[in-house]
Formats: sequence, C-alpha cells, structure tokens
Amino acid sequence: MSEISVKLGECFAAVFPQLPSEEIPNATPTVVEGWDSIATITLVSVIEEQFGIQIDPEDIEHFVSYQAVLDYLTAKQVNQD
Amino acid sequence: MKLVEALATISKGASSGGELLRVALVCGFTPLHLQTFLHAELQSRFPNHRIEIVTGTYGDVAGSLSSLVADGLEAVAVPLEWEDLDRRLGTRHLGGWGPGNLSSIHEQTRMRLSQLMILFERISKSIPVILSLPTLPLPPLFFTGAQRSGAWETALENEIFSFAAALTQHQRIRLIGAQRLQYLSPLSQRLDVKSEWTAGFPYSLLHASTVAGSMAQLIENPLPKKGLISDLDNTFWSGIIGEAGASEISWDLDHHSQGNGLYQQLLKTLAEEGVLVGVASKNDPSVIDEVLKRNDLIFDLNKAYPLDVSWGSKSAAVSRILETWNINADSVVFVDDDPLELAEVQAAHPTMTCLRFPRQHPQEIFELIVELRDLFGRDKISEEDQLRLESIRASANFVGTGDAEGFSEVLLEQAEPELTLTLKKDAEDARAFELLNKTNQFNLNGRRFTEAGWQNYLGEKDTFLLTAAYQDRFGPLGKIAVLAGRMNGEGLIVESWVMSCRAFSRRIEHQCLKSLFAAFNCETITFDYERTQRNGPVTSFLSGLMEETDTSRPRLSRQRFTEVCPRLFHRVREIKE
Repeated sequence: MSEISVKLGECFAAVFPQLPSEEIPNATPTVVEGWDSIATITLVSVIEEQFGIQIDPEDIEHFVSYQAVLDYLTAKQVNQD
Repeated sequence: MKLVEALATISKGASSGGELLRVALVCGFTPLHLQTFLHAELQSRFPNHRIEIVTGTYGDVAGSLSSLVADGLEAVAVPLEWEDLDRRLGTRHLGGWGPGNLSSIHEQTRMRLSQLMILFERISKSIPVILSLPTLPLPPLFFTGAQRSGAWETALENEIFSFAAALTQHQRIRLIGAQRLQYLSPLSQRLDVKSEWTAGFPYSLLHASTVAGSMAQLIENPLPKKGLISDLDNTFWSGIIGEAGASEISWDLDHHSQGNGLYQQLLKTLAEEGVLVGVASKNDPSVIDEVLKRNDLIFDLNKAYPLDVSWGSKSAAVSRILETWNINADSVVFVDDDPLELAEVQAAHPTMTCLRFPRQHPQEIFELIVELRDLFGRDKISEEDQLRLESIRASANFVGTGDAEGFSEVLLEQAEPELTLTLKKDAEDARAFELLNKTNQFNLNGRRFTEAGWQNYLGEKDTFLLTAAYQDRFGPLGKIAVLAGRMNGEGLIVESWVMSCRAFSRRIEHQCLKSLFAAFNCETITFDYERTQRNGPVTSFLSGLMEETDTSRPRLSRQRFTEVCPRLFHRVREIKE
C-alpha cells in the first residue's frame, strides 16, 4: 500500500468515521451514508490539510470515489515530482 | 486544532453519551468547518456532554436570530461579518461598489447594526450571546485604496466600535477579543477566497479554528483563578535582597528591570480586582522588613497576604498560604524564577498552575504578564471580590480566639453579626451563580449549573432561591451563601446549598435553616446530599444535625432542628419577592 493511499485512507476515516476501514477502498457517494456535497467539501479540505496541497475547484467534480481521489493524488504527486 | 483532529474529537465524543449541550451557530455564510471546529472545541471543554450545534439560514443572520428559540440552548454564537451588514461588503455579490454607493452602504450598515442590537439584547435575556465582530478584511471598494484610511472606511469601523461598546454593557453578551484574535489569526491569513466562492465559507482553516476556539472559551466562560503566590528575589524585584540589601534591588528602566516593575503593576491591579496575592520567599524576615519601609514599590507588599518569608521549603510555604486563604491549589498560580522551586511546588501541588518568571528576557516577561492577565480575567469586579482579602485578614486575626467548634459565643455575640436573607428567584444574580459553580467545601452535593440550566431551574414554578449576605463589626463578607430547592407534598427539599469558606463558624448555616422553616412554614427539610471529595464541612454540619446520618437524603424535622440549633446572634433582615 502506497504512502498516499494510507494517508488518503486516514482522511476518509476522519470524514466518514462510521465507514469500516476495509470498505474505504470501495467508497463512493452512493454506498457511503452521509457522502453529500458538504462531506465532499470537508473531504477536500482534509486532503488539502493533510497533504499540504491546493485542489483546484474544477477538479473537485471528479472526486466521485475513493479510487478517483487516489488516482488524482497519485497523478498530482507524479506531476509535482 | 487541525480539521482532521476536530473530526476525530467529534467522532470520539459522539459515542460518549452524556447530557446534551446545544449551541446555536448563527452566521450569514455556510457554517461548514466553523461548525466542525466549534463542535470539537466544545467537546474538548465539555467531555461529559453530548454536543449539538444547530445552525441558522444561509445569508440571513437577522432572520435566524429573530426565529431563534432559546429553550434548550446553552448559548448562541454569532460570527458577524461585513457582508451580513451589507452584501456589497462581500465578494459574492456583484454590482454594488462605486463611490456613489458608499453613503448608502454606511447607512445600511448602521440600520442593520441597530436591528441586530435589538435582537442581541432580546436573546441575551435568556441565554449568553457569543459574538465576533467583523474579522475579515473590508473588500477593496474605497477610492482611497487600502494603504490609507479614508472617511467611509473609518465611518464603517466607527459604527462597529460604537456597536461593540454598547454590547459590552450587557452581562450575557460576550465579545471575542479582537486583539487576541489578531494575534492568533493574522488578518492576512483569514480570508479563503476559493472556499468563499466555491462553498460559501470565507474562513481559512486557521481562522475557523481560531474563531471556534475563542467562541468555545467564551461559552464555557471558565472561572478565573483566585490567588497568586509570588516569589520575591528576581521576580517581584531584580536582585537578591539578602546579598545586595534593600537599597540595591530594582524594578525600573534605569536598572534594566522594567519587567519586574510591570509584574508589580500587574499584581497591584489584580489585588485591586480582588485577587488574593501572597508571597512565598526564602529569605530572612528581617531583610524583608527593610524593603517594606521603601515607599517606591509599585505594589505595596503590605497589601500582600500572607507574606510567608522563611528558609523552609517553598512547597510548605505555599501550603500554609493555601490554608490561610482556605482555597484549593487548582485556583492558584505560583510564580518563581527558579525552575527547581517551581518543580518542587508543582510536585507538592500538582493542580496548581506554576509559571516561571523569565528574568532577563523582556519579551517572555511581557508574555507571562499577558498570560497571567488572562488567567485572572473575569466578567466584572463584584463587591465580594473587593472584600475578600480584608475578610480573610479579619478571620485570621481571630484564629485562636474560637473554641473547638469555631468562634466562641462571646466573640460571635460581640461581633454584632447581621445577615441579609433574600428569598427571590433572581436569574440575573451573577454572584449566586458564581458561588454555586465555584464552591467546593460547603457544597451539598457538588452540583454545577450551566447558565441556561440555572435559568431553566429558576424558571420552574415550585423552585426557590435563598441567598445570604453577611457583615459584622469587623466588616462585610458580602453575599456568601446560596440555597436552592423546591416545595413538594413532603415538605421542603434543598437541592443545592453552598457557602463560602470565609463564612464558616458563624452559624450562618443554622440561621439559613431557621429562616427556611419559618418562610415556608414546613415541618421537614430534606437535603439532596451527596458526598464529594471536598465537601467535608457540609457533611460534618449535617451529621451534627441529624439523628440518622447514614441516609442518602437526610431529612430534618423542625422539632429536631429546634432541639439541636445552637444560640444564634444574627440580626436578620429578610427580603422577599
């Protein structure tokens, strides 16, 4: 498991404390209770805080699953490198 | 606090259960992270409560306040921003700038503040209002530019200052300190434009966390410390008096010891506000006598009490001072320049706040003084605060004149005691509320009240409130006892009873019961007693009254009370609702 995925898992656990850790990799708004627009904003803010990055507003619409966010962060990490 | 920490705190608190504590957060913007941080800060301060934050309508502070139902709320928190006063003072709405609009912006701001003043005054009659006045920068709409203050900008700021000055006159309206906020959250780091435009939340995480922390502190409104015990050498003054002599110690700019002078100035201020100031110094008492003769001390050491000067350990000196004051270590701050002395006192009194006087470091001395100021910060200075030291001195003068159970009957009679008993449910009586929440020793059950809880209690139709104020020929003690309870079919039930330790041994507790029997014409009084770690005095008192002491709700009959009540000497003045 990459460092990014571990850190992202912690972000999801913070925003969705009822979500069992083994279900985090499959998390989407349709399967996670309480994943609404407010939760998305909170998730983005937590990710920005924990990763020390800024996320462009237009990128947020792609945050439709844990995997999508992980892909975004991985790509951003590659770009940053 | 970081956002991820706030979420973890909330998650942890959600499973803890406990009594519900509801707070309204009314803001014109989306509450978002401010709500999260406020929830977490309150959860940290009230770990045994279940926190609930209710919010108002987006973009309508006045409307949300108008429709607010105070019942069941502990407080309402309002982070007011410029945009709430006129939407043209924000960045989410377009088309309202330009020199022709400045006059109407000013007028609209003035009118909105007048409207809010009425709402805040109304709400604060029921619950505390915690308010931050505009914390975000004004938008760049003034023709002078931001590098220069122009007439319209200062006119708007003046409206806020006038508004703030008027609000501070209200007991239950608490304004967040703008300077402290500026220190913790610099203006340049407050506004998050991206968040404002994408989510309607204008605060950066740092600013949201800071505002929420300040609001939670004012909602909790913790009790101030009661006493400060200070070292002398290299703390109260610069130099070691035993080596240099009384004429060579200093506390001024000329001798590079201004920090000691400023510290003395703070002690003088605190003492005038009713804080107990004592001294624990390792010195020869005769040397200190020399300095007491100097008339240029900023804080006259004769006003410190007690002055414990000896070669014994500091912790023992501190213990003696606590005994004289009859207060607990957790209400006291100890200041010394020597880390070893601080460690020794801290080990002996783990709950005491022990702070080092950082001699030779002016910036750190200033920060210590700011910290001390905060630890002793209070809503207002009461009559009782100003009486405290003198009444302790007076009590101490009579130690040794009493018998085993307190003062002798002769002394009690000669003291010409007067007791004013007020049977009136006055929810605005801040002193009664303070006594209930800070008294430990003569406390029937240790029960504490929140402000809203106390208001609700007094609002119940079968409850009563009796307060007692005492004075004798040695001086007044002020309001020193509070009894609260209710009448039911069985008789009178006392549910809360506290009395200041300064008033012990004067048979005030007996006089209170005598007055209750008479006022309510009841045959029994039941006490909602619970043993706590510290309420030995009330336990002893009840044991002396009761025939049976092993019951959890002791009941006292009028006949039994008449049999055991000692002779009372008070001249009683009764005030009824």
